[in-house]
Amino acid sequence: CASDRDVDLAAYVESVEPADTLYNQGLANLEAGRLSEAGKKFEAVDRQHPYSEQARKAMVMNAFAQYRQGNYEEAVTAGQRYVSLYPTTDDAAYAQYIVGLSYFRQIRDVTRDQKESRRALEAMQEVIDRWPESEYVEDAKAKIRFARDQLAGKEMQIGRYYLERREYIAAVKRFRNVVEVYSDTRHVEESLARLTETYYAMGLASEAQTAAAVLGHNYPESQWYKDSYALLQSGGLSPRENQESWLSRAGSLLGGNARS
Amino acid sequence: AVVSSIEVRGNRRVDAETIRNNTGIRPGQNFSNADVDEAVKRLFSMGMFSDVRINQSGSTLIVSVDENAIVNQVLFQGNRRLKDADLGRQIQLRPRGAYSSAMMEADAETIRQAYGRTGREDATVSPEVVDLGQGRVNVVFNIQEGDRTKIASVSFEGNNTFSDGRLREVISLKQSNVMSWLTRNDIYDEDRLRADEEALRRFYYNRGFADFRVISAFGEFDEAANSYRVSFTVDEGQRYRFGSIEVESTVEGLDGQALRNQLESRSGDYYSAKAVEDSLVGLSERVADLGYAFAQVTPRGDRNFENQTISVVYTIDQGPRAYIERIEIRGNQRTRDYVIRREFDFSEGDAFNQVLIQRAKRRLERLDFFETVNIATAPGSEPDRVILVVDVIEKSTGELSVGGGYTTGNSATSGFSVEGSIAERNFLGRGQSIRLSMAGGRNSRDYTVSFTEPYFLGRRISAGFDIYRQTREYNQGYDSELTGGTVRFGLPITQALSTQFAYNLTQEKYVYSGVCLDDNGNPIPNDPRCTLSDYLKDAIENQSPWTKSSVSGTLLFNTIDDMRNPREGLYLNGTVEVAGLGGDAQWTKLTARGSYYHLLSEELDLVGLLSAGAGHIASYGNDGLRVFDHFQNNDRMIRGFKSNGIGPYQTTLDSNGNTVYNHLGGTTYFNASAEVQFPMPFIPTGIGLRAAAFADAATLYGNKLTGQGAVLGSEMEWRASVGASLIWASPFGPLRVDYAVPVMKEEGDQIQNFSFGISTRF
Amino acid sequence: CNTEGALTARETLTHGYVVDEETLEMVPVGSSREQVLLALGTPSTTATFDNEVLYYISQTRVRPVAFMNPRVTDQRVLAVYLGEDGRVSNLAHYGLQDGKVFDFITRTTPTGGRDQSFVSQMLTGVAGRPSSFPVR
Repeated sequence: CASDRDVDLAAYVESVEPADTLYNQGLANLEAGRLSEAGKKFEAVDRQHPYSEQARKAMVMNAFAQYRQGNYEEAVTAGQRYVSLYPTTDDAAYAQYIVGLSYFRQIRDVTRDQKESRRALEAMQEVIDRWPESEYVEDAKAKIRFARDQLAGKEMQIGRYYLERREYIAAVKRFRNVVEVYSDTRHVEESLARLTETYYAMGLASEAQTAAAVLGHNYPESQWYKDSYALLQSGGLSPRENQESWLSRAGSLLGGNARS
Repeated sequence: AVVSSIEVRGNRRVDAETIRNNTGIRPGQNFSNADVDEAVKRLFSMGMFSDVRINQSGSTLIVSVDENAIVNQVLFQGNRRLKDADLGRQIQLRPRGAYSSAMMEADAETIRQAYGRTGREDATVSPEVVDLGQGRVNVVFNIQEGDRTKIASVSFEGNNTFSDGRLREVISLKQSNVMSWLTRNDIYDEDRLRADEEALRRFYYNRGFADFRVISAFGEFDEAANSYRVSFTVDEGQRYRFGSIEVESTVEGLDGQALRNQLESRSGDYYSAKAVEDSLVGLSERVADLGYAFAQVTPRGDRNFENQTISVVYTIDQGPRAYIERIEIRGNQRTRDYVIRREFDFSEGDAFNQVLIQRAKRRLERLDFFETVNIATAPGSEPDRVILVVDVIEKSTGELSVGGGYTTGNSATSGFSVEGSIAERNFLGRGQSIRLSMAGGRNSRDYTVSFTEPYFLGRRISAGFDIYRQTREYNQGYDSELTGGTVRFGLPITQALSTQFAYNLTQEKYVYSGVCLDDNGNPIPNDPRCTLSDYLKDAIENQSPWTKSSVSGTLLFNTIDDMRNPREGLYLNGTVEVAGLGGDAQWTKLTARGSYYHLLSEELDLVGLLSAGAGHIASYGNDGLRVFDHFQNNDRMIRGFKSNGIGPYQTTLDSNGNTVYNHLGGTTYFNASAEVQFPMPFIPTGIGLRAAAFADAATLYGNKLTGQGAVLGSEMEWRASVGASLIWASPFGPLRVDYAVPVMKEEGDQIQNFSFGISTRF
Repeated sequence: CNTEGALTARETLTHGYVVDEETLEMVPVGSSREQVLLALGTPSTTATFDNEVLYYISQTRVRPVAFMNPRVTDQRVLAVYLGEDGRVSNLAHYGLQDGKVFDFITRTTPTGGRDQSFVSQMLTGVAGRPSSFPVR
């Protein structure tokens, strides 16, 4: 049978508009906040005038537009393509920063895979290594701190999971991992307090005291230190904290895992 | 060398600045020949240029390039089976990518192979280029799909123990038949042929032919007939039996003889590779359960050619002492970490034991949250440390399913029915499941909401609740409406044995309808057309609404191999329900049901099924049992009779004087059934049609209703029926047609020979 | 088929380091750190901060019935203290009775990251589209 779409092959071509007009239309849409429209215009420039100067600028603007719309995958692809094609231009730092931000926005809570935190950390680290003097380095450092805090949070989450089941070896490993690898995050206080609890529960009083001492030395005012100190003083007899109301404990218990 | 400027020649579309950037060479900066080569390589990798030349003249570096044309659009003409998007993904040419004739030829070949895989060997692809000027081109692939390539015949030589027919069922390549357009298993390709060779090998290895060899296997393509002739030549070799089977243990404290009960075969049986594997798994699991984490089981077989026996020795010795350093869980974008981690019986720091890892893997797969679960090991920080990497790919656990069904018979739920439900098996990634479903038939409506938490209080207790509402319109002239809720706790005792405790609170309402009402809605005292028995009228008028508040306990033992099409295993279910914690109902009810599947003959794929059931209800309160509390028969109890068509009854006269049997149900029932299932003879197994012959027997008796006239037929009388059924696992859903002829029946029994049920969910 | 395996409910699980008696004799006081590592393998954990102490921790648990959580029935910690010279100065055994039982603190350090709201999961779950497209 005849070809199902008898279209005139030669005519099947996109009407080519000059690169500048397309690019400026994209910018205008961007200012006006019509992000998806702007994205389409920038992609048209890249499609009709590949590898031209406007195409280069359009690519980084497109990455920004996609990021602002929340299409993080598209933003990452556009950003990475820009950095690989035009590594030496001054927009490259911005494109890499956009890639980092796109991963950063997708970071999930600690009970789930932290792939995005790791990706964000790597991308932001690249911004700092390759463009040390770019204006995005400051924010990149802040994002790295948050990503590392998130990874430390996951270690703590798994450590608490094992501690609650009294699987002390696994718990000690996870909390020590936080103390050794993520000592610059907010979780180090809790990890030292949990180490004190774990060692004490296992009966290694000396290790518990060392952990509590290190905690007290570095964070004397921390509530975690006060709890650990009270634990060691009272030999585990004094009540640990204000017991939550029965209902809230039942609520959390119903959720299938006492401390998820 | 140093240059003061870089000049770019020959570029039409690509911007000179971009090319300068990509050379990586800067004016005023020293560079070597290696840098020049690097620059050429990098420019080529942009995929935009067919040729790149860099040479230096004086203080300027000249970079001259020939640009490739750029692909504007890739078009496909004449393709119906494969969509443009699928083809577009498989080929190299891309819009905005570079064009080269070599790539176009290669893409044409890829498209032809794609069609080959869907069973169209003789499809032809002719590529065409359209120049659009300014170095841009369109690429068009004109495709003639041709028609399906068939498999004319599948033949075997050298097989004298098993018939050609039997071997045809073992392999996946099937002769083309009328259903092939649906089953699609008559598409010939090399890897399916290899897979079939392996299937034959396993089939023979499991039946004693340890020396079996496939001499040749090939598909001969007949150009004219556009079909393949597939033929296998095999050499069966000797048939071996098991010689002596020993279990030796070198691990102190572990006695080999005590573990013999894990063996799957006895000496004298035909040798079977699968039996050895199963015994190996059985032994390893038992050893791991006894706490010997590092013990390792290795089988050793030696062949005795004279009396054709293979004796097997399973040696248990200390394996390498490796520990798990860390369990990394990856890919859980939605499922929470602890939902996966809690399925592992071991934790970080424990001994590395393959059996426990496989057990955890099976448990994770049974959660049905994941497309794939694979557990790999990565080297740890120390030589005796291993990191376990658990990679999961989640699948959508939400289901929006709409189903339809048709069941014969006269009960309220027979006839056409439509069912829709929205469910999420992994609610918020917590492993909890919720389901809202609505089902409607000609005269029945069911609404259900249910929620389950599989790890209540962090233990393996699956707690949950259901809220349901059911309305029924009975054609004898009354409607029923049941609203209720259940709170349930499931407690597994062992792998196969589990219990469930539940509290149920329901309220039933009954009202007259249709025939038994006059036009302004109150019941006509003794209108002949309303042939309800007096007991039914009494129950409707003064035992409605009726609340039941009861607790129930169930014991479930299930070792069935595959619930969808069982071949082997035992299923026992016993329930006790006591109603009377408040509410009107005051009775105790015991029900039990069991079925035992056994593969009678592997050759003929003959499956035997013995099932039995029993139930008794007795009231302890002062107002006895209602008519609706009594057991009624259905086709699960005995086939060949109408539902609620046997058992104690009361007679009434209808308008033209002949007796109407109103069956009121009984307090006690026993039923038993024997059935043999086998694949339909003469029909290729690809279609999935199976037949069965069965014999049922049942009795329903005992009725304590008083005060509204005599209740007849409440003594214990056995009914029996024999019949045959057709079972088809059709692509639309399981279909079963039963035809049963009662051979022993009582007065007043209502017959229904034919019953048919199909339920589809899509 | 062996239903016997399916009926025994009691399950014993060994966790952590698998102790065997005769290798313990090979590590008397005075033996070097390498000897200890060779004989006993890598320790379950070591002292967190101060001088070298190697801990070999093992636990046995029993799960009487499938739905209950396993209960710790025996716990042994072998502590190998190493002196300044890197030689074993003291061996100590801690049993289950040394362990203390008390409540762990329920407070946790807050963390960020996008949690999944019920509505978004129902939509993505039902529509069959994972919440974010895997990067193709």
